[in-house]
Amino acid sequence: MAEVLTANNLVKHFGDIKAVDGVSLSIGAGETFGLLGPNGAGKTTTISIIAGLLEPSAGEVNVIGERISTRSTMGKQHIGLVPQDLAIYPDMTGAENLAFFGRLYGMASDGLSDRVDEVLDVVGLAERRDDLVKEYSGGMKRRLNIGVGLLHKPRLLILDEPTVGVDPQSRNAILESVESLSEEGMAVLYTTHYMEEAERLCDRVAIIDEGTVRAEGTRRELVSIVGEKDRVAITGGGALGSAAESVRSLPTVSEASATDHSLEILADDASAILPTLLSTVSGAGVSISGVEVVEPNLEAVFLHLTGKALRD
Amino acid sequence: MLAALRIAGKDLKLRLRDRSAIITGVIAPLALAVIFYFVFGSAFGGAGGLDLEYGIVDLDGSEVSTPLVGVLVEAEEAGLLVVEEYPDRGPAEAALGEEIDAYIVIPQGFGDLVVGGNAASIEVVGDVDAQTSTLIAGSIAEQYAAGVESGRLAFITAQTLGGASPAGDPATAAFSYEMVDMAAETRQLNPATYFAAGMAVFFLFFTVQFGVLGLLEEERDGTLTRLLAAPIGRRAVVSGKAILAFALGVIAMTVLAVSTQLIIPGAEWGAPLGVALLIVTGVLAAVGIMGLVASAAKTAEGAGNLGSIIAVILGMLGGVFFQIGTGEDLLSRLTFVTPHAWFMRGLGELAGGADWTAALPAAGALGLFALVTGAIGWVLVNRRLES
Repeated sequence: MAEVLTANNLVKHFGDIKAVDGVSLSIGAGETFGLLGPNGAGKTTTISIIAGLLEPSAGEVNVIGERISTRSTMGKQHIGLVPQDLAIYPDMTGAENLAFFGRLYGMASDGLSDRVDEVLDVVGLAERRDDLVKEYSGGMKRRLNIGVGLLHKPRLLILDEPTVGVDPQSRNAILESVESLSEEGMAVLYTTHYMEEAERLCDRVAIIDEGTVRAEGTRRELVSIVGEKDRVAITGGGALGSAAESVRSLPTVSEASATDHSLEILADDASAILPTLLSTVSGAGVSISGVEVVEPNLEAVFLHLTGKALRD
Repeated sequence: MLAALRIAGKDLKLRLRDRSAIITGVIAPLALAVIFYFVFGSAFGGAGGLDLEYGIVDLDGSEVSTPLVGVLVEAEEAGLLVVEEYPDRGPAEAALGEEIDAYIVIPQGFGDLVVGGNAASIEVVGDVDAQTSTLIAGSIAEQYAAGVESGRLAFITAQTLGGASPAGDPATAAFSYEMVDMAAETRQLNPATYFAAGMAVFFLFFTVQFGVLGLLEEERDGTLTRLLAAPIGRRAVVSGKAILAFALGVIAMTVLAVSTQLIIPGAEWGAPLGVALLIVTGVLAAVGIMGLVASAAKTAEGAGNLGSIIAVILGMLGGVFFQIGTGEDLLSRLTFVTPHAWFMRGLGELAGGADWTAALPAAGALGLFALVTGAIGWVLVNRRLES
């Protein structure tokens, strides 16, 4: 698989703050690579460097052999960016938005019109091509935002949390689009803090926190880090913090952390210790409203690596 | 360059679509120029300059009173005013409001009182609907009275000291007042052109804001990210905004120059080439200043507010609402730190009938404004985009 993106040892300082600290990535053609981490983990800064929006304090990025910097134009030609915030003009129609950005990417007028129609089809907006974007629903705007990113057939598509604030129907449509683009051979860099999306879409995932890649690999590789432990999520109210302390002393429990309304527990063979677990939690003063036992997933990996939940 | 033009073209389309640029750039200044002209223009006697019609009733007929009559007649011959001599106040009163705006009465015995060293008075009667003309008539009378008084004092002093007055007697020493056409002397614009050009250059600063603020609006709306991610130079993004600002400014000023000449009687901007030169350099100066403002602001809203404040201050200092003299006082000096004053001064030179080269000094000053502010703004904006 030919490498489309290589990013080596990226570092970015904002004053005294080190937002990105030694991030390295590589993505091959047809591969979807997930950057999974909570808000503020450094995902957006990393992709801003990769897209040539920010100059790194150290390290370098290459796309199809072209060095990427804020001043490079050749390399940027190969990149399609879908920013987290909408980046489209509300007072222009969907077709006008696509045509404008297509021209900026140097697309010739004769092929541009056909490509605009093609992309509008892909994102399901063909019927609304001549409507002003301000008349679109939130989901439609999101889809157009993605359409602009893939208009010029980039070799690398960067999507920065494209499903934030999107209704379930549009979200599913976006995920299906990403899957089909990957199948067509496009390299996709996908940032999210939704574990389910990363598990569904990504061939490989890097778990990032506090500007550092904590682990990287396929889902199976990452899950093996946790040691095949089960995850128990207990929702409820009360003394969740002290309950977590009590639970940690139970046999086979390796991790326990409390969030606002739940306890996240990692344990071997959780079903076997579930009654003890529940009585311990209840005894610590927690009123239990729900219990969920799941097999190891990326959320558990994240918890294992960082000691906190993804949505913290 | 192509990318910059595409960005400018996109912005122009959006500005035309929401009509904001047309309203601010053309309709608002044109409407205000017309309104100002009709409201205040009459105070200046309409489009052609002073239009003062006075009566003079010289009941004295002495050597002291006749100089005032003579000066008024000379002023009439110079085209500065119209004066009608009346034998008595009755006919003058009858003509007041119909044929004349005001009349001056020099009472019988006025000369004797002055020569005798006694207090004397002159009467000015004005039409209630012609207050400005009446005020000017009062000023003429006061000026004359001051001359009479100084002549009388000089005569008395000389007599007291045992010599002779410089002019021999108070009658001939009394009145040295002279009316001159100040508009011609200082190459000032006539009211019609003044209001048209003043409003045009005042609103120019708001019009170019539509271009220069575009960068901050792109930042606010998230589209700047996508522009910066595109395979175009960062300078193309800034240049695109500057090109739009320049284009909007030139289009608006040109439309205003042409339309005010057609709509407002008496509006005459002068030699077309000189006017074009002033418009181009004036627009560049406005783009430079507003670009500097935008580069220093944190948000589009902040830049808009700051830009509006600066536009109003510069407009007032630059004399677009009321004419500021060209003397040595602070206000007169301050006026030349504004592009508005240079623009109006340049037009004033052209309005005197000069060819386009007369606008070169003002155009040079405007170009300097553009260069200095534009260069600083350019550096600041590019630094901002890099961060």
